[in-house]
Amino acid sequence: MNGDGFIQVQDLTKVYSLGSVEVVALRNATLSVDRGQFVGVTGTSGSGKSTLMNLLGGLDRPSSGSIRVDGRRISDLSKAELALFRRHTVGMIFQSFNLVASYSALENVAFPLLFAGVAKKERIHRAAELLHLVGLGARLNHRPTELSGGEQQRVAIARALANRPRILLADEPTGNLDSRTSQQIVRLLADLRAERGLTVVMISHEEALLREFADRMVYLQDGAVVSQETLRGGP
Amino acid sequence: MRASDYIEQAWTNLWKKKLRTFLTTGGVVIGIGALVCMFAFGQGVQRNIRDQFNDLELFNYINVYPAHSTGPAGADFDPDSPEGHAPRASAAASQQKVEVLDDEFLGELTQIEGVEAAFPEMRFPAQIRLGDEEQFTLVQVVTAQACRSELVQLRAGAPYAGDEPNEVMVSDSILRRLGVKQPDSAVGREIEVRTIILDFRLASLIRMAFGRGDQRLPISDQRYTFTVVGVIERMGFGGPLPIRSDVFLPPGAARRMRKLVLTGLSDLFRPPEKTAGYSTVTVKVTSTNKVAPVKARLEERGLRTFALMDHMEQMQKGFIIMDMFLLAVGMIGITVASLGIVNTMVMSILERYREIGVMKAVGATDGDVQRIFLVESGLIGLLGGVFGLALAWVVSFVINQVVNGFTAREGVPFIQYFSFPWWLCLGGIGFSVLVSLIAGIYPTRRAARVDPVVALRHD
Repeated sequence: MNGDGFIQVQDLTKVYSLGSVEVVALRNATLSVDRGQFVGVTGTSGSGKSTLMNLLGGLDRPSSGSIRVDGRRISDLSKAELALFRRHTVGMIFQSFNLVASYSALENVAFPLLFAGVAKKERIHRAAELLHLVGLGARLNHRPTELSGGEQQRVAIARALANRPRILLADEPTGNLDSRTSQQIVRLLADLRAERGLTVVMISHEEALLREFADRMVYLQDGAVVSQETLRGGP
Repeated sequence: MRASDYIEQAWTNLWKKKLRTFLTTGGVVIGIGALVCMFAFGQGVQRNIRDQFNDLELFNYINVYPAHSTGPAGADFDPDSPEGHAPRASAAASQQKVEVLDDEFLGELTQIEGVEAAFPEMRFPAQIRLGDEEQFTLVQVVTAQACRSELVQLRAGAPYAGDEPNEVMVSDSILRRLGVKQPDSAVGREIEVRTIILDFRLASLIRMAFGRGDQRLPISDQRYTFTVVGVIERMGFGGPLPIRSDVFLPPGAARRMRKLVLTGLSDLFRPPEKTAGYSTVTVKVTSTNKVAPVKARLEERGLRTFALMDHMEQMQKGFIIMDMFLLAVGMIGITVASLGIVNTMVMSILERYREIGVMKAVGATDGDVQRIFLVESGLIGLLGGVFGLALAWVVSFVINQVVNGFTAREGVPFIQYFSFPWWLCLGGIGFSVLVSLIAGIYPTRRAARVDPVVALRHD
C-alpha cells in the first residue's frame, strides 16, 4: 500500500469473554488509512465491524496488536489519555444517534465543548455554526424527539465535529434511516471530508452505498480483513 | 471542564427532575433542620449559663476559709477535689500559717498580685422589724464600697453614704416577706434590728438560776434603729459571691452594735480563739487567669479555698456530653437523609446510563463523569443545608414563642432558648454538603466506571 498511513492498524485482535466462553471479535486485522481518505468498512453481522470502530475510536482497548494514529500508538494510552484522544482527535457517529434526549440540538452539539473547557458563549456560538453547516440552522432549539431520523443524525454529525477532530468514525450511520436520507447523510460526510480535510472511516453493511462515496473498501469476515479495494484516488 | 460548568450542569440536571430533587432535598432539610435545632438548643442552654456566670464575674471570685473551719455549705462543694482541703504538709513552710482571718490579714491579702478586692464576710443573726412585720435573718456587714460595685443591683434608693451611718440596704425578697410590695415605698422607712447578746448582768443570771418561764440561757437582746436607704435585687444563688444575705449594714455601724456572731450552732462548740476573725473572706481577682496563682498563694498560707473556676472543667465536660447526646439524636435524621441521596443518585445514574456513554465518547474522562455527579450530590446537600438551617430557625422561633408564652404567665422573663452561633450555621451547611458528598461516593464511582461500549450499544 502506498500513502502516508495516517491510521495504521497492525495485527489487531480483540477477544471478549462471555462467561467462560471466549469470543474472538477481531483477529489479526491489519489495515491502513491515509490522511483525508474516505474508507468504507463492510461485512456481515458479527464480522467485527463495530469492534474495529470502538477500538479506532479509543472507546475500547485491543487484546493484542496495535493502532497508530499519526504515528502515536493509541492502543498503549492510559484511560485518561484515551479520553483526551476521543475528545480532540476523533468524532464518532452511531446508528442510534446517541443524542441526549433532554438536551436541545444546540446543547447536544455544545456538549463535547463542555469537557474541552470551552467557555459557554463560545460553546453556543460554535454549536450554532456547526448546526448551520449540517443544514439545521432553523432547528437549534428542537429536542431530538422533535426531529426526524435524518435530522437527528445531522445533529450527531455536528456534535462529532465540535472539537474539530481530524478523524470522523461513523458506525452504521444510516442503519435507522430510509434510503433517500441515507444517501443525503453519506453525501454530507463525503462533503465534510472534502471541506474540512477529514479522514472518514464509515462502517455499513450497505455495500452499494459505501462504494458510491468511498475511496477504498475494506471487507471484514469473522473478525479478519479478507480483502481491500481502492476505488478512487481520493480528493 | 470549568468549575462554573459543573455547577450549572448539576443545577440543570436537578431542575429537570424537580419532584425527585425536591423529595431528596426534603429529607436532607429535615435531617439538617433537626440536627441544627438540637445543637442550637444545646448552645442556647450553654450560652444562658455562661452569660449569667460572666455577667456576675462569678469566675473571678475565690472564697477563703481558715484551715480549721468546716466553712459554710459552699466550701464542701466537691469533697473529692484536693483544692477543697487543707494543703499538704509540703506546702511552703517559709511562710507563716494564717490561723485567723482578721483585718491585718485582709491588708496582706490586697497586696497579693492579681487581687482586686477582698470582702470579709461577717454575718450575725438578728430579728428585723419593719412596721408590724418581723423576720429572723442573718445580717451581713458589707462595706459601702462593695455596695457601690457591680455586685449589687439596686431596685430602689441608693447605697449607704459611707461605712459609718446607721443605714441599711435590704433585699427585695425580704421586703416581700415583710409585706412590702413596692420597693420604692420602703426607702426612707425606719427598720429595727434586734441582735442577740450574752447577758451576764446579775438580774439575768438570777432569772436563769431560778428558771422563771422558759428563759434558760444568759441571753438577751439589743435593739437598734436603722434607716432603709436602698433596696437591692436578691441574687439567685449565693455561690462564691460575697453578697449573700437579705439585710446589709456598714462596718462602722456594726462595730458599735453589741451582738453575738454566730453563723451556725456549730460555732458554739469551738474554742473562742477559733471563732475569732471572719468566717470567710471573698477575694475578687482581676481576671480569671489570676485565680490559680492567687489560690496557690493562699493555700501556701494554710488556708482553704473555693473557686467556681475549678469546676469549670467539669461543667465543660457536661456540656460536651450534652452536645454528644444531641448530636447522636440528630445523626439519625442525617443517616436516613443520606440513604435517600444514595438512592436518588443510583437511580439517576441508571437513567442516564446512555448519557454517561455519550459523555465518554465525546471525551469526558472518568474524573469528569464522577465530578459531574458528585457536584449534583453536593448541590443537594447545599440546598438541604441552607433550607435545613432555615427550617431549624423557624422551628426554634416557634418553640421559643410558645414556651415563653407559657412561662410569661409564671412571671419568668423572656429567655432565648436557642442559640445560632455563626459556626453552627456554617457548620450545619458544611456538614450537609460533606454528608451528601460522602453519600455520593459510591454512586458516582459507578458512574465513572460505566463502559462506554456497553452504554452506547444500540439495543
